Amino acid sequence: MSDTAIVFDRVTKAFGTVRAVDAVSFSFPQGALVTLLGPSGCGKTTTLRLVAGLELPTEGTITIEGRDVTRLAAAERRIAMVFQSYALFPHMNVLENVAYGLVVNGARKAAAEADAQAMLKTLGLEGLGERLPSELSGGQQQRVAVARALVLRPKVLLFDEPLSNLDARLRRRVREDIRDLQKRLGLSVVYVTHDQQEALAVSDLVCVMRNGRIAQMGTPTELYEDPADAFIADFMGEANVVAGEVLGPGRIAIGGVALETRMRDHPAGRAELAVRPESITLLPGGEAGLPGRIQRAAFLGQTREYEVETAAGVLFVVTPAAATPFAEGEGVACRLERTIPLRS
Amino acid sequence: MGALSLARLALLCAALGLLLPWHGLEGGLSEATAWPGGAAAPLPALLLGGARWWLWPVLALLALAALPVLRGRAPGGTLTLAGAGILAWVFLMGEAIGLRGLEWPWLAPLLGAPPPQPALGWGALFVLVAAAGLFSAGIAARGAFRADAFIAFLVAGSALLLFLFVFAPLTTILTAAIYDGERFAPDVLAARLAAPEAWSLACLATHEGCGVVWNTLLLATLTATLSTAIGLFFALLAVRGGVRAAPVFRAMTILPLITPPFVVAMALIVLFGRTGIVTTFLWDWFDIPRSRWIYGLPGVLLAQVLAQAPIGFLLLDGALRAISPSLEEASATMGARRFTIFRTVTWPLLKPALAAAFLLGFVESLADFGNPLVLGGDFDVLSTRIFFAIAGARHDPGRAAALALLLLALTFGAFALQALWLGRRRYTTVTGKGDSGLPAPLPRGLKLGASLVVWPWMVFTALVYGIILVGGFVHDIGRGDMSFTWRHLVTAFEVEWQGGPALRGAAWDSLITTVEVAAIAAPITAGLGVLLAWLIARQDFRGRRLLEFMTMLSFAIPGTVVGVSYVMAFNVPPIELTGTALILILCFVFRNLPVGVRGGIAALAQIDKSLDEASATMGAGALDTLRRVVLPLMRPAIITALAFSFVHAMTAVSAVIFLVSARHNLATVYIVGRVEAGEMALAIAYSTVLIVIMLAVVLGIEKVVGRAQIGRRAGTSAARAAPATAPVRAGA
Amino acid sequence: MKAPRRLFGAMLAGALAALLPGAASAQGQLTVYCSVQEEWCRPMMAAFERATGIRVSMTRRSSGETMTQIRAEAQNPRGDVWWGGTGDPHMQAAQENLTVEYRSPMLSQLHDWAVRQAEQTGFRTVGIYAGALGYSYNVPELNRRRIAAPRCWADLIKPEFRGEVQMADPNTSGTAYTMLATLVQIMGEDPAFTYLRALHRNINQYTRSGAAPARAAATGETLVGITFLHDAVTQKVNGAPVELVAPCEGTGYEIGSMSIIRGARNMEQARRFYDWALTAEAQALAEQAKAYQLPSNRNAPIPPQAPRFENIRLIDYDFARWGNAETRTALLTRWEREVRAGAR
Repeated sequence: MSDTAIVFDRVTKAFGTVRAVDAVSFSFPQGALVTLLGPSGCGKTTTLRLVAGLELPTEGTITIEGRDVTRLAAAERRIAMVFQSYALFPHMNVLENVAYGLVVNGARKAAAEADAQAMLKTLGLEGLGERLPSELSGGQQQRVAVARALVLRPKVLLFDEPLSNLDARLRRRVREDIRDLQKRLGLSVVYVTHDQQEALAVSDLVCVMRNGRIAQMGTPTELYEDPADAFIADFMGEANVVAGEVLGPGRIAIGGVALETRMRDHPAGRAELAVRPESITLLPGGEAGLPGRIQRAAFLGQTREYEVETAAGVLFVVTPAAATPFAEGEGVACRLERTIPLRS
Repeated sequence: MGALSLARLALLCAALGLLLPWHGLEGGLSEATAWPGGAAAPLPALLLGGARWWLWPVLALLALAALPVLRGRAPGGTLTLAGAGILAWVFLMGEAIGLRGLEWPWLAPLLGAPPPQPALGWGALFVLVAAAGLFSAGIAARGAFRADAFIAFLVAGSALLLFLFVFAPLTTILTAAIYDGERFAPDVLAARLAAPEAWSLACLATHEGCGVVWNTLLLATLTATLSTAIGLFFALLAVRGGVRAAPVFRAMTILPLITPPFVVAMALIVLFGRTGIVTTFLWDWFDIPRSRWIYGLPGVLLAQVLAQAPIGFLLLDGALRAISPSLEEASATMGARRFTIFRTVTWPLLKPALAAAFLLGFVESLADFGNPLVLGGDFDVLSTRIFFAIAGARHDPGRAAALALLLLALTFGAFALQALWLGRRRYTTVTGKGDSGLPAPLPRGLKLGASLVVWPWMVFTALVYGIILVGGFVHDIGRGDMSFTWRHLVTAFEVEWQGGPALRGAAWDSLITTVEVAAIAAPITAGLGVLLAWLIARQDFRGRRLLEFMTMLSFAIPGTVVGVSYVMAFNVPPIELTGTALILILCFVFRNLPVGVRGGIAALAQIDKSLDEASATMGAGALDTLRRVVLPLMRPAIITALAFSFVHAMTAVSAVIFLVSARHNLATVYIVGRVEAGEMALAIAYSTVLIVIMLAVVLGIEKVVGRAQIGRRAGTSAARAAPATAPVRAGA
Repeated sequence: MKAPRRLFGAMLAGALAALLPGAASAQGQLTVYCSVQEEWCRPMMAAFERATGIRVSMTRRSSGETMTQIRAEAQNPRGDVWWGGTGDPHMQAAQENLTVEYRSPMLSQLHDWAVRQAEQTGFRTVGIYAGALGYSYNVPELNRRRIAAPRCWADLIKPEFRGEVQMADPNTSGTAYTMLATLVQIMGEDPAFTYLRALHRNINQYTRSGAAPARAAATGETLVGITFLHDAVTQKVNGAPVELVAPCEGTGYEIGSMSIIRGARNMEQARRFYDWALTAEAQALAEQAKAYQLPSNRNAPIPPQAPRFENIRLIDYDFARWGNAETRTALLTRWEREVRAGAR
């Protein structure tokens, strides 16, 4: 038994001339929830399907729990997957759906149904066993899909955009449920989503993909606070990307103004700098900082948003509602609390 | 299923095959007593005796595959080679060395003068199945078909079957088009294809008949147009006209399906022939001169429209129902008048269904053989011309093959046009959501027009089927002798009681064979069809399009061509089937396969692919997924395919006329004989019995379908799949 | 896993059962291709089975279809004897080497025309019955039109028969070809074609089957139907109001024939059938079957209804010449070009 759950070694999947997954290598630790994040068409779903065995790689090897599964069909991989559409069998009732995996793997019907019954209870679905999937609400269907996957006691559980068919309020609850379950059962989970908030909220590790390659992998904090490039900086949340110069540790110059800021070490010289909207503090005009003028101001209840025209261009700034408000046209000074130098 | 498991199963199968008689047993089971010698000798005995020394490579290849497999390995390359090698070797040697010894003289230096080699038997069958298994295990081990050996086997197996029973016979007969007698002459093909008998336009300028291609096209276009129009009127009246007779309309759609060939044509003659009932009536009462208008284009057209209009109705009724009333209501809220709504909203949305109905009518008319044969008069179409080029006084297989090519081209042309049309536009108003709202009523003028077509047509249909119903029970309906009699039924279906029932009637043999053959063929057709549909729709592999094309190919081939090609291809070793019931079954299976495949594909389109995938990720192999998830969801489609293939097998004529034998005669062929002998009454009586049987089967199956609806979703998907599986039969 | 296998097993068993031929009888078996009407075929075979104990498998098809079948099966023949059907295809089969020579001891009992046909084909076929060509007319229809009863070929081209004559298409029917050849032999080729062109104007339909005009005349669909007279007799015996005409200029006839198929599997039984079918007793069965041809055995009783050859001016029909494939093609091509293509 190794301590890695899934290892990709230079895995490529080509559809015709298109390389949906292009020489990807990674290693996911056991017991962690790893999110595959990226815009549509980035290869994240294909990667998940490669793990599941629903696609076979064109090149490279895949190892799950120390076993080489590169040429194994989905049925032989001992993984479980929750589909975006849930893929509940419409001709079976909930209990039969949940017991299905056990039955096809050779369990006796009675034992399988007892197991399934227990799993339904775990997920708060008791009493729904006799219903058909079409008679359940969206959230219930989602939990049946999860129950159906978990009942197989998989080492690796895969989620393909599991929340996309739920409404906004339900989403939050369900994603927390999933995270709880994963922690309680010590599952290794791979989770595909295109929603960065969802990714940040549930993941141990986030793996951002772009054009069939891994753009960056790290903890949510690392990715948010220290994105490797402008794409990730932007994808992980709003960011102002400005041209500037690194003068030394914690010292930069933007728009000809020297500023103090927190930042990781970066060699001195010209650089692209990303600044999160919420890490800019606005001070009244004349104070130390990058001078600017409020172009547009909006009040959103919890926060205020501003567009500030500065020598480095227009900056997007978010401040807590409790901070001092500024009016449109007013002169301000911007203090950059944190700055992220980007690798070009 | 893994490659190794399949390879092991295949070896088991091969071992069994090596024990069974290698060659076919001409004399039946009595010859099997000679085992392991004589005609029943298994392959090892034949090899050791030196009688089939050229088959040693088969054993060698089997051993090559067995060595690693027995040690628990499944080396892809070796298995692929062994499987493909055995298949190729057995068939090549079977062709090379036939009943008269060496058939390919150029192999003489290699093979010398081998003894005659009869057809392959059960032993060979098992070994060949095993070889296909080894081959599939091999390619699966190399990663094809997502490493699923079961899928690989299904694909390889069905491709082999399609090649053997669709492609190979067809090529056998079509090559005749480039032979002039025994001489290879590609130049005659061009001459034959461009022959004036096919393309002459003389009818425009002179009294001569036009080319047979023009005749066929004219008839098909008229049939398609008229049946679509009549079907549309019926559908409009049923769905929007507020008519209470809609259930009657729907019941009527079953008629053409269960009508044996010739009966409608005969009924038309009885009604409208020069001495027909209607004609005589009109003459006696209104002095309308009697004529022979029924023989020729009008008669054939009438018979074909009678058969096609209900099917047009079936398609258009479904389409009209599917148009969401809210679209029309939306139009109405914008202030459109009834007729404007119809013209601008309803009509455009109907277009795809109209095109489908038209195509179906067109293709059916091309393939129709029975009606032009009986009613054609001087009016020749391709299907009859092909028949007489083969079976007429002037036997010319080359001409027949060229004409068959023309017919094939017409059919493919029609399909291509439809694909082009459908590829560009798809209207889906079926959302699965219950749509409320009231459909717009028909504009008054349109309703009146539709009624003027629909009611007379209903009366006409009732008249024709009334004649069929009565015809079997009167002395001689052809000459107007309408006194009641059981005579014809007794002649055909007499049962004598001599300590037990003895079937004395002349028709019993053919009836029993027909029902047996149809009952065996139908489940195989439905099963294979649905399986192929699943492979085509759900599995991604190279050659998928080709496989689909091959399944659809038998659609387009005229029945006569299929029949003769089967005789030519399966009368001599290596595969010898003529004179058996098996050849009839195979012919029906591969001829009706498209019905199952199309129905299956339509049904699968309604079933989300993630269901299959979910099943796979839960550890179910392809077989389990198929059995527990896909097949239950496709049950309505399967049952529909079952009903269609049964009924088609009962009513087929042109394809089997050359395949029946003394022991295995078929009802329709018997009826042809009756028609030839002028015994219309007996033919009609027999047809009535067939109609009753088919009606019972179809209604029984419909009852099962009614129960088979599972949940809301499956129910609607079945309903939507129904029009897509509407019966298309190529040549009764 | 099990259910579909069981189903498949059942299907296979069913297919197997259908495949197994029945037990062979001690006297052996025989496969006969029969090309006369079913009512005649069946009692013939039954009588032969009773007489010899040989089991007969019989398939009834028209002579054209049987010829096609024998051609297609030439490599591996299925049938043993081809009994009945007009002589032309039998002679063609002899010419194509599809049938074998057999000199039956019964030849001495046969009429001259039958022996002559056998000699012409090198004893590969033999006549079993003969029927004269002629026409029948519907009496009520004729009276209704007040037309004088026709007696000769020449009568049929009179204008009062315009659109009232039906004959078969010589391309598809042996009967019609016999008529073509007969007229050429009576009149000479060019006058015959002049006659046919004139007749063409009176033809309402060229049917595909040779017996169809007889039926059409019986029901009144046409006034006159050109056909073999025995076909018309059958209609008359069944009660149709028709009269038969053997044309005054003389007429041709067909010889219904019998051949043994080359490569017959049951040669001995085939010969026994051959000999038996030529006996007077066997040929007497025709009358019961409402077949009113002239039997070829001199001792066989002639059905009273049968049109007797003594009352008919028969021409000396040269079967060898007019049955020849090249002559046939030439005649048919000319007919197609000069007659069929003409205006009506």
